[in-house]
Amino acid sequence: MTITKNKEGTRMTLALEGRLDTTTAPQLEAEVKTSLYDVTELVLDLEMLEYISSAGLRVILAAQKQMNKQNSPMVVMNANETVMEVFELTGFTDILTIQ
Amino acid sequence: MISIRHLRKEYPNVTPLKDVSAEIGQGEVISIIGPSGTGKSTLLRCLNLLETPTSGEIFIDGQAITDPKCKVHLLRRKMGMVFQSFNLFNHMNIIENIMTGPVSLLGHSRQDACDRGMELLQMVGLRDKALAFPDELSGGQKQRAAIARTLAMDPEIVLFDEPTSALDPTMVGEVLSVIRNLARQGLTMMIVTHEMKFARDVSTRVFYMDQGEIYEDGTPEQIFDNPRRERTRQFIQRLKVFETVIDSHGYDFIGINSQIEQFGRKHEMGQKTICRMQSIFEELCIQALLPRMEKEFQIHTMVEYNEENNDTRISIRYTGPAFDPLAEGDDLSILLVKGLCEEISYGKAHTQPFTNELTMKLRLE
Ligand SMILES: Nc1ncnc2c1ncn2[C@@H]1O[C@H](COP(=O)(O)OP(=O)(O)O)[C@@H](O)[C@H]1O
Ligand SMILES: [Mg+2]
Repeated sequence: MTITKNKEGTRMTLALEGRLDTTTAPQLEAEVKTSLYDVTELVLDLEMLEYISSAGLRVILAAQKQMNKQNSPMVVMNANETVMEVFELTGFTDILTIQ
Repeated sequence: MISIRHLRKEYPNVTPLKDVSAEIGQGEVISIIGPSGTGKSTLLRCLNLLETPTSGEIFIDGQAITDPKCKVHLLRRKMGMVFQSFNLFNHMNIIENIMTGPVSLLGHSRQDACDRGMELLQMVGLRDKALAFPDELSGGQKQRAAIARTLAMDPEIVLFDEPTSALDPTMVGEVLSVIRNLARQGLTMMIVTHEMKFARDVSTRVFYMDQGEIYEDGTPEQIFDNPRRERTRQFIQRLKVFETVIDSHGYDFIGINSQIEQFGRKHEMGQKTICRMQSIFEELCIQALLPRMEKEFQIHTMVEYNEENNDTRISIRYTGPAFDPLAEGDDLSILLVKGLCEEISYGKAHTQPFTNELTMKLRLE
């Protein structure tokens, strides 16, 4: 998986490309742990994300919690059909702001 | 009539028959089915001594034909064989082809052999081809002539090795109907065939051969409608099967995922189904089961795909103490897995060395 980070002031976009699964989730987890502290708006762009597993969901959930704690919005964008299905089945459509 | 006991046939590189035992009664029609390379031809060739078994015994009418003192020509007289490739003599016309055995081997007069030959040609619908040469006949006609030639030796048992496999599909029917007729007349027959409908109609019993043995033996209804064993079912339902085993924590996650993808692509299962299979594998095997596995373990995943109705079933068998991830596993993983399946259940495994088994049917739309 490739993570492309784009920061304009305190607005950060993370574009994920490839597969977010057991082996790649730690990559995103590291990013979430180190880069979110000064972010006031987080965008996860999933246009190029092909697959997501529960390991990936957990990291996205951690990011959402972190942003909630900071009282800042997080938006998930451009998820494809496969990824959307996973969000729906696990109730993530109710937790996340999906555009 | 035929008794096969612990028959084994080894070749330098393969052992197609590991341990074959069977009892076949007079008038039985046995269809032998199974994947190619499972020793079906080898079994027939052992029966009429075209091959020498490595070990084991075969009795015909109480006589041990595997005994070196057995008179091969007497056995051959009892047993006829019909091959895929007809094996007619091309330099003789059809009636001569049929007469030559009875005249030279049985000592019949040419007149008797000719009369009987014409009767048999009548029976297989080729009376008017008696004077034709083999290369003037179609494949189906050649095979019917070959059957008549075999019957001319008055065998008690006829072995057929894929009698219709070399034929144009339009000619399969005429040959099968001749064989059907012989079955009605009570001739004892063993038929290796890929024609499943025919095998179901004509047989008293079906042998499914696999893994060097008669893997399952039953009536046509048992074998075709209710196969008891896994490989039989996979063969009968023409399932496409993918299997993978994890037996160490150093398993190759990326490799297995790409194998699942290749399997799905090969059978045109669609990207969505491929992702669903990968999800199931990852959530159950990797997330739920693997962390609980200790030193010696095995997690066996099998996907069975039915191309006719797109049914996709997955079974995951694993070693270790009873553990039902559906009840005790991580919520997120299990929520996802349940959502991706139409049916899913946990139970005890029935195959060694496994103790647990999860079976599921993938959601289709
Ligand atoms: N004469 C032979 N020498 C060596 N190997 C053979 C010989 N005949 C068959 N085999 C091997 O034995 C196995 C079973 O062959 P066969 O009985 O022809 O299978 P089937 O008829 O079920 O397709 C195959 O792997 C085949 O290559
Ligand atoms: Mg064969």
